Amino acid sequence: MRWVDWYGDGSLWVLDIALACCTLEFDAAAMRPELVDGRDTAVGALPALRDRSQVAVVISGTVTDRLAPAVAAIVDGCEQQVGRHPAVISFGACASSGGPYWDSYAVTKGVDQLLPVDVYVPGCPPPPEALSAVLDQIVGRIPS
Amino acid sequence: MTEALPEEWLAAAEALRADGFEYFDWLGCVDEIGRRDCFRIVLVIRNLGQGAEPMMLSCLLPRDHPQIDSVQGVFAGAAWHEREAAELFGVDFVGGDHRRLLLSPGFEGTPLRKDEVLAARTGMSWPGAKEPGESEIAPNRRRMVPPGVPDPALWGNRDPSEPSADPAAVAESAVGGRVRRRRI
Amino acid sequence: MSSSSHRWIRLIEPACTSCMICARECPSWCISIDSHTEPVEGLPPGARNRTRNVLDRFAIDWSLCMYCGICVAECPYDALEWAGDLTEPGAGRESLVEEMVQPRSDPGLGVQ
Repeated sequence: MRWVDWYGDGSLWVLDIALACCTLEFDAAAMRPELVDGRDTAVGALPALRDRSQVAVVISGTVTDRLAPAVAAIVDGCEQQVGRHPAVISFGACASSGGPYWDSYAVTKGVDQLLPVDVYVPGCPPPPEALSAVLDQIVGRIPS
Repeated sequence: MTEALPEEWLAAAEALRADGFEYFDWLGCVDEIGRRDCFRIVLVIRNLGQGAEPMMLSCLLPRDHPQIDSVQGVFAGAAWHEREAAELFGVDFVGGDHRRLLLSPGFEGTPLRKDEVLAARTGMSWPGAKEPGESEIAPNRRRMVPPGVPDPALWGNRDPSEPSADPAAVAESAVGGRVRRRRI
Repeated sequence: MSSSSHRWIRLIEPACTSCMICARECPSWCISIDSHTEPVEGLPPGARNRTRNVLDRFAIDWSLCMYCGICVAECPYDALEWAGDLTEPGAGRESLVEEMVQPRSDPGLGVQ
């Protein structure tokens, strides 16, 4: 798994479950120059977290029925590995409801069919600033 | 496009390969319901030494018993394409790889057949069913229906004592538009 | 492509005639419309009675919308347009359904 130290100071660690197109917008949000400079690149395993560090999981893209168990297992695994409940962000229309593929025979109609979601971000895809704003709110950098 | 009979399919592929058509491009299946009661298997291969002109080989199979030889032994790349056609259309590729490719292990049905209905569309109430000036859907014999939802009398709400609907009728009734339906 | 496209869709309520075309063309089935008919007032004497559609509800479920713009393109009255604001995220799926018809203070009046 690839954890991103979002602000470079260990205050927020973000995992992207990269399923489809929306993950490109995640990358655009994560790689903004003002964030990347002076920050470690993404790490495979989380370091020991400080008390006030937060953890977020972003589901970016269409959840197919075939992959649904794996997505659920990843989020469960995060919670166990990290020792705290991650904020779960449903990023984009597909992750929120199945989006344009809501009627497909092979698509789960929203990741909330599998696990509880904290924030739904609309868009197809949402622009990178939508994700940045949601993460800023989660850590309290801007009031919600 | 060159047509082959099912029993000639493998030999035709081998002969074309021997003739220089060694590059496998794609293999697909077309459901020709409404025109004829067949699946059409299409194989496209290219001769890279001759400007990569495509050669299209096709074969018609009966819809109720679609069986054809696998060409995996001739073009290894055909394996994935055959697995996809097998799982989405229900075609039996004799001597081929019968593993699922994309769908979940427990999935039932052959979703790309044109008489297979997207259940989600039939279950969900279509916002476009109302007429201008309506807030409730009033009974009306000529309604707008969305594409993908067949006449419930043919599929779904069918009287079980009636014989099963003809697949072509189901596929045609799922076209959408303004239609006369006995029930909404 | 202008910077305001594919970020949010705005309803221009006075232009909407409740024709249902956008709701019917939407591939995601994400537009919900309710309307009713009212008689047209102020007709000249001897004119036949006419009715017009009054839009009661126009809602887009942004959790389904794929921002394809078919509704904007298909509207015969240009009552839908791309706008520069971003649709807001929400804590629940239902919070992503945006009601776009302004509530009226007098239920008897239609939109002119």
